[in-house]
Parts: sequence; C-alpha cells; structure tokens
Amino acid sequence: MAKKTYDLLFKLLLIGDSGVGKTCILFRFSDNHFTTTFISTIGIDFKIKTVELRGKKIKLQIWDTAGQERFHTITTSYYRGAMGIMLVYDITNEKTFDDIVKWLRNIDEHANEDVEKMILGNKCDMEEKRVVSKERGEAIAREHGIRFMETSAKANINIDRAFSELAEAILDKTSGREADADHARIATVAYCTSAAVAASAAHMPEPEGAPDNFAKTLAF
Amino acid sequence: MSEVENSEVAVENDQKDYVEDGKNKLNVKCKFCGSKILDKKSAKYITLEKDLPLMQQDNNRKEGEIQNEQIKEFYHVENMYTFENIGFTHTVANCKYLSCADCDAGPVGFYDMDTKHSYVALSRIEHA
Repeated sequence: MAKKTYDLLFKLLLIGDSGVGKTCILFRFSDNHFTTTFISTIGIDFKIKTVELRGKKIKLQIWDTAGQERFHTITTSYYRGAMGIMLVYDITNEKTFDDIVKWLRNIDEHANEDVEKMILGNKCDMEEKRVVSKERGEAIAREHGIRFMETSAKANINIDRAFSELAEAILDKTSGREADADHARIATVAYCTSAAVAASAAHMPEPEGAPDNFAKTLAF
Repeated sequence: MSEVENSEVAVENDQKDYVEDGKNKLNVKCKFCGSKILDKKSAKYITLEKDLPLMQQDNNRKEGEIQNEQIKEFYHVENMYTFENIGFTHTVANCKYLSCADCDAGPVGFYDMDTKHSYVALSRIEHA
C-alpha cells in the first residue's frame, strides 16, 4: 500500500436546525461556479479536504446531517468519532439561534465530551434581514466557552477560515495530549491508559486496514 | 469500428503523457476550478468500462432519465484519505459519486461501497 501521505485525520460535523445553510456550507451553490444538476439532486454526503497547519498535513472529513435534524434522530451514531462540531444558526431566524442551546445539550448527551465546538452565525450576507446581532452570537459562545464566527456560505465569507480554526483548535488539544502521554508514563496506570486512548483516537490510524475500519464506523 | 480504434490510440497517448510506473505522473485537478484532487504518483492507472452520468445533463431529457457515457480510463484510489480534496455524494445503487470539493463539479468518478475503492475518470479531470 502507498505510504502515508498525511499526519492527522479530523472528523468534523455540521449541526443545527434545518434551513440554516449547513448543506450550503458543505455544498456551495455559488453562481460563478460550475454546478451540475446531477450532483445537486443526489446531494453531498461528506467531503475530504486537506489543510496544512503548523507543518502538519491534516485531512478533514466533513459531514452534513442529511436532514436527520428534522426528525430529531441525531444520536450517538452520528456523533461517533467526531472531533469537531460546527454548530450553525441563521442570523435572519431567531428560532435557529434559540435552538443553539438545545443543540449544545444534545452534543453534551451524545458526543464525546472533549469534542471541539464552534458556533457559526450563517447568512451574514443578508444584513437587511438580520434579527440576531453579532454581539448576541458572541455572548452565547463566550458563555459556553466556545469559538464563534459569522459566515456566509453564499458569499464565501469565513467558511475556509472557520474550518481551519476548528482544525487548529483540535490540533492544539491533540498536541497537548501527546505531551501528556509522554509525561504520564510514571503516573498511574489509569491515567496512562486514558491519555493513550485519547491520543490514539485523535491520531490518524495506520494506513494498513485501519482507515477502512474507521470508515465503517462512520457509515450509518 | 473506427471509433474504438481511435479511442485505443487515445489511451496510448494519454498513458505516455500522464502515466509513469503505472501511476499518475502529474497532480490531478478539477477541470473547472483547479482544486487539487490527487497528489502526483498517488493513484494507479487502470482501464475499466463503466458508465458515468454526464456532468451536464440535457435540460430537455425525460424526467428521471439520466444520461450516461462510458468511461474507460480511471485512476484507482484504494484509500479515500489519499484524496487531497473530494466530495462524496449520497449512495445510489451501492456507489457514491465523486465531485470537486470546491466547486461541486461532477461526477468526476465513483466510489464502490463494497470494496471501498474510488475511481477517478481521466477524461473528467485535468493534469497539472
């Protein structure tokens, strides 16, 4: 098999009420781009994107919820293996902003507890229809100790930056863990085990067979 | 059939230009936006006969009809994480179609759900 051509793999999810533009964040129906009816009819399940951060080549696997949010069926299987979550609301729709708190609760219940989160106030190109101020977005993010950004999938504002920042936050955590794991050898067995498990979960599995298993756990 | 002969000649020419040691000699990019799909020398060149839906479907086609074309040359990618940037559609008949991760142009190939291998059509990408 070919040599490993990347350092890390991060699985990221897009979460939020339907209609907030999650699919547009993943699948950009941009006017100046070539769009095909065939692909837009079927829809995108996930994307793989490669970014370089601090000399590390990182593969991002980004998943959409595929309408499951409408039926409140987002549960543990969807969150499994997720290392980052983009929590999206629509700045022109009050309810989607109020629901952020519900989504945070859902994440607490079902996702890995150390998953890195980021709140996105999407559709920031529609200033004339805005009902949620940027300050309120910042306030709720601060309250929960998570990152915040306003984005526009349509005008391509801050989308790539949001993904890079989330990836960087996960990278920070991962490097912290690596250092912990190194220093933990003389500490208690329990601590060693949990740190090692956490570090290996964050690391890209070895190319021989492991990515396939990883892919299987993602197929739901 | 002269058409078949022509396409075989084209295959040989393509191989000379783009294939080295059975792999893609050059980077593989999106034809429309230039987004990098595969790093050079990361995928195996293979021939395989497979129908892929056209990237631009005729607007006057019958409802529900899908216009296909047969593709014979592919880059074979065993591990999906080999891709630099790529989109996977929802599953249709045990396969997912591949699209450009940046402009969503596609299908540029397909992903087989059984083998978990991906196939990128040479005629739907650009070498650079």
